Amino acid sequence: MEHGGGSGGGFNRFYKHAKSTSGLSIVYGGSSNSNNSNGFINNTASTNNGNAANSNTMPPPCTVREQDQYMPIANVIRIMRRILPTHAKISDDAKETIQECVSEYISFITGEANERCQREQRKTITAEDVLWAMGKLGFDDYVEPLTVFLNRYRENENEKTSLRAEPVLKRGIDYGSPIVMAPPYGQPGFHVGHHQGIFDGATAMGGYFRDGSGGGAGGGSSSSQASLTNNFDPFVQYK
Amino acid sequence: MRQAGSYSGILISGKTGPHLLPLARIKKIMKKSGDGVKMISGESPIVFSKACEMFIKELTQRSWMVTMQGKRRTLNKEDVASAVMATDLFDFLLNLVSEMDTSKSS
Repeated sequence: MEHGGGSGGGFNRFYKHAKSTSGLSIVYGGSSNSNNSNGFINNTASTNNGNAANSNTMPPPCTVREQDQYMPIANVIRIMRRILPTHAKISDDAKETIQECVSEYISFITGEANERCQREQRKTITAEDVLWAMGKLGFDDYVEPLTVFLNRYRENENEKTSLRAEPVLKRGIDYGSPIVMAPPYGQPGFHVGHHQGIFDGATAMGGYFRDGSGGGAGGGSSSSQASLTNNFDPFVQYK
Repeated sequence: MRQAGSYSGILISGKTGPHLLPLARIKKIMKKSGDGVKMISGESPIVFSKACEMFIKELTQRSWMVTMQGKRRTLNKEDVASAVMATDLFDFLLNLVSEMDTSKSS
């Protein structure tokens, strides 16, 4: 039972599958999937098995774990470790279970969102449909933070297209702490959102605090910035 | 408390790169989730990447509580199953966690 590096245990497990099956199905799984660790394992598996697996013996699906129907286990483990205490250990089967649960979650929500689209005769599932489905299926606690997240993402996208990033300091926020900005980060999403009270002054909270949630932002969130995008503080310890 | 966790994720995850979970994979799973899932807006996988992160954290936290009740330090599959059974929100996972016993490989 592996504990130290999350993905190590995962690798062992996949390797075991490779030995017990012809390795073919893993090849199938791997080839359609341009990713990282699975690709590595697949190479190992196929060389080990040697036989030009290209013949048509498809192993029964139940003995093989198609990786591309799941989130990469390393990513799942990384998220789990953020929540767990440092001394916690995770069994391999727990990692896989959670990996499967995530896929089930996505399917569950998407199914509901899709039904709504069909009822309303729309073809495209939008982010709003997803959020609606979450609310309907009981995940209403997620809706608000996700909405914040989505809005940040949209603002960031707009900024990217309309102007190149302005230096944060121009926004009149003086936190005197490293504020990382923008464009390199042009990524959707990980923007500093609301957080009550974390301030090492390290986060430029901009727009959110204008609403008077005060926070510790020194209230400095000034100017006209409706959005504080592209700023995040890697040093904030907030839990 | 849960709210805090979800917001802090927005901060912390910036450290690790654009997204914690691969968007293409999310999209693939979405497409397989039902008949007639045809088109998916670009933002949907992004919302899901964050939602899945929140989901993993919640499920892990609840599972860990079971582990602690058993005075253990290793979170195992049975802990996850117990957490699922104890949480109404996770009813959709009941089949998954109970099925797993039959396809367990070792």
